[in-house]
Amino acid sequence: MALTFLDREHTVAGPGYSRWLIPPAALAVHLSIGQAYATSVYKNALVAHFDTSLTAIGIIFSIAIVMLGVSAAILGTWVDRVGPRKAMFASACFWASGFLVGALGIGTNQLWLVYLGYGFIGGIGLGIGYISPVSTLIKWFPDRPGLATGMAIMGFGGGALIASPLSSQLLGFYDSGFNPTDPTTVASGDAVMKLFVTLAVIYFLVMMLGVFNVRVPAPGWKPPNFDPAKITTKKMITANNVSAKNAVKTPQFWLLWTVLFCNVTAGIGILEQASPMIQDFFRGGDGVSAVAAAAGAGFVGLLSIFNMAGRFVWSSTSDYIGRKPMYAIYLGGGIILYFLLATFGNTATALFVLLAAIILSFYGGGFATVPAYLRDLFGTYQVGAIHGRLLTAWSAAGVAGPLIINGFLDAQGTPGELVASDYRLALYTMVAVLAVGFVANLLIKPVSDRFHESAGHTDAFLEAHDAESGGQVVSGRSS
Amino acid sequence: MTGRVAVAWTVVGVPLVCGIYNIIVRTAPLFGG
Repeated sequence: MALTFLDREHTVAGPGYSRWLIPPAALAVHLSIGQAYATSVYKNALVAHFDTSLTAIGIIFSIAIVMLGVSAAILGTWVDRVGPRKAMFASACFWASGFLVGALGIGTNQLWLVYLGYGFIGGIGLGIGYISPVSTLIKWFPDRPGLATGMAIMGFGGGALIASPLSSQLLGFYDSGFNPTDPTTVASGDAVMKLFVTLAVIYFLVMMLGVFNVRVPAPGWKPPNFDPAKITTKKMITANNVSAKNAVKTPQFWLLWTVLFCNVTAGIGILEQASPMIQDFFRGGDGVSAVAAAAGAGFVGLLSIFNMAGRFVWSSTSDYIGRKPMYAIYLGGGIILYFLLATFGNTATALFVLLAAIILSFYGGGFATVPAYLRDLFGTYQVGAIHGRLLTAWSAAGVAGPLIINGFLDAQGTPGELVASDYRLALYTMVAVLAVGFVANLLIKPVSDRFHESAGHTDAFLEAHDAESGGQVVSGRSS
Repeated sequence: MTGRVAVAWTVVGVPLVCGIYNIIVRTAPLFGG
């Protein structure tokens, strides 16, 4: 078969293969699926095209995030078994197909097809694409798991950074009546449809770069000068392993689930509404915003920079200060920042942007640090599958975050006429959500011994066995 | 191998850097620039 090059057996790295080829492969995939964060650029165009509410259009994004979590949870073990190359290829197919079916829905004026395409099918592409390079990078960088997961997941945060301005320009290109710099114009549905088709082609090609470059390390491989004994001397880092089946029975898993849910709910509310939000915060009494639509789109991109940078910087920092203190900073700092944003955010554009940017850096950091937190608590045995199950928290937050924001805003007025005070109640609600997450993080302790696997059942044992027997790959072995 | 690493990083890095530059330019008015 022509596609056998996708199999795991054909992706084992040979001697001398540089592990620094894996981060760009991961970035090619995550930068593509990170487009999910740029939906606010054409959100108002879809509201006008389908003549519906913000909430109805927000559901497209919510379905995609739900499917991300569901597919990551269900397909986590499949991704580990078939390897990152086949998983990335499948992700590219789903992601591009999602855009094409979504375009069909816009072209035929059927919103349910957009739900099915971008939301359901594209969401599966998101889930598979999200987890495949993460577990692979953890294996390539056992000496710096926070750095590794930060590198993998930072691309997802940076996707909008490219997609947001690109989408604005393409909408202007496809609709001569739409001016990205003029807030009074809205792109036509036809332009959004053509945008979806264009993005499908571009992202499929970019994701193929990841497919061709990614490799898994050979069994028994470790970085030069790496001593595994050094990393297990800290209290919150276990030397044992917990299976995915047992992990979901532990209070630690559900406390961490709550932590991720709260952190994501708070951040996603701002992200999903970013472009209209900054315009509404600085809308004058005459109904005209001091912030142009183009600057609003730029603001989405600026948040992406901080979202992306937070993933890399904070996750790498957690390698030094520990995961639990890092999450205390994300959630405790978030409480203060959200309160300041709600209360004083409309006094100066620079203050609004600064507060939102730091909030988004914590949001991104929360995502990137979670796999390393899981590795610390449950070991490396089935960390990919456990990570997939934990991402259901993201799905739940993908519903809760936009519902909170859009629910409050729909009750307050019409899009394009909202002002800063209309957001206040929603943002104070986010402060309460973050407080719940802060307490949940404080309650996390090391996992009880009764959940630990015996050494003979873990990958660490199997890989050591492989190395002793000549490093042969055990075909079909799952993790 | 070094060349391949450089090419791989360039392919994903250039759009990323262009995107960052573009965003900074477009958001300058937010800070009065």
